[in-house]
Amino acid sequence: MTIKIYGSLVSRATRNLWMLEELGVDYERIDLDWIKQENRSPDYLKINPAGQVPTLIDGDVTLSESLGINLYLAQKFGGGVLWPDDDAGQARCIQWSVWAAGELEPAVYPRVYEFVFKKAKDRDDALIVKLAERTLPLLDLMEGALSASAYLVGDAFSVADLNVAGVMEYLDRSDFDIAQWPKTVAWYETTYGRAANQKVQGERAPVAEAMLKRIVEHSRSEG
Amino acid sequence: MIKLYGSNRSRALRNLWCLKELGVDYERDDRDHVSGEIKTDAYLAINPSGKVPSMTDHTGGGDVEMFECLAINLYLAMTYGKGTLWPDGAVSQADCLQWSMFSATEVEPHTVGALMERIFKPESMRDEAAALKHLEQLPRAFTVLEGVLGKQSYLCGKAFTIADLNVACVAASLHMVQFDFLAFPKVSAWLGACSGRPANQDVVAGNA
Repeated sequence: MTIKIYGSLVSRATRNLWMLEELGVDYERIDLDWIKQENRSPDYLKINPAGQVPTLIDGDVTLSESLGINLYLAQKFGGGVLWPDDDAGQARCIQWSVWAAGELEPAVYPRVYEFVFKKAKDRDDALIVKLAERTLPLLDLMEGALSASAYLVGDAFSVADLNVAGVMEYLDRSDFDIAQWPKTVAWYETTYGRAANQKVQGERAPVAEAMLKRIVEHSRSEG
Repeated sequence: MIKLYGSNRSRALRNLWCLKELGVDYERDDRDHVSGEIKTDAYLAINPSGKVPSMTDHTGGGDVEMFECLAINLYLAMTYGKGTLWPDGAVSQADCLQWSMFSATEVEPHTVGALMERIFKPESMRDEAAALKHLEQLPRAFTVLEGVLGKQSYLCGKAFTIADLNVACVAASLHMVQFDFLAFPKVSAWLGACSGRPANQDVVAGNA
């Protein structure tokens, strides 16, 4: 049975689409339009009670949490490649994935809200400063790790890199300058620039542009 | 031998609970933010962010060094808890990953946020509006848990697993900020059952 990913190209599902493209596994993407509240339909709420995306269905397995889905996919289909063979490497993959979810994402996601969805005059400057203060030590930590090895877990690309870069894109999208962390810059360019991700991002770009227009119209119609 | 860095007044509590559940031998290093030994070069080599917990495991010539408490618990369960904390079967194992991430993304940021504003910050710096904003985010997560626990005793089915431990160890601290569990009776009963386990009671009492 083909793997199904519920989400859209403008959602956290892109992290999973990137992973599936890396693995070369067949999948079907089911777009849910949140402006039309398709993520609140009774059928969808059965598989994801909070109405969040993404959700993965693989046979009997129904999963939410984008970075958890990626760990699952890496373990199942990426043994020796995206999921390293040794205990130490596997432990680090879990570590960086939990770190991306629990430390990095809360520090960088709200920034996108401020920079992409709000007009310059409506931005919460105090929040932006607070988020930046929280982000700096996280980038220091990454820079340290990437000074010791080319990738977060040794010298090969793994699910750790994919999960962290998939969250770091929020800094990229909100024009956060990471030039003072050169190893991180080089790593991000190589990682985020991988063909599998570029394929997903190439498909995403026009959809994201159209979506942004609709959000603006939607918020106007809501007054 | 496994070595766990962090005292039972830090997030290492979560790992001590897990280790005690597994019944594996470990060495404990009680350093924490109070003892101040978390910024030494030797420790920073293990955990460059200078936080606790972190863990090393050189069992059988292995070379595992890691941080992030919920990740450490996943590693311990996968390595030492096969068939118990790390259940058999692809569906349950996937659920363990999902709930651990859910704990990190949906529960912990708001739990920590509320605790900071009500307990950890000096009184003059506390922001009750911010605390309330965090607490208001939690019912969404607890509604999801309530639905699952209405159908089964534990998050992956009939047995206690690392999924329960990783969510309960975060949610339990909400009692410190008087979070009202009234609307979530199943969650409240489950949390009581999890926290009441002898392994956790021992750790909380400082006997582990």
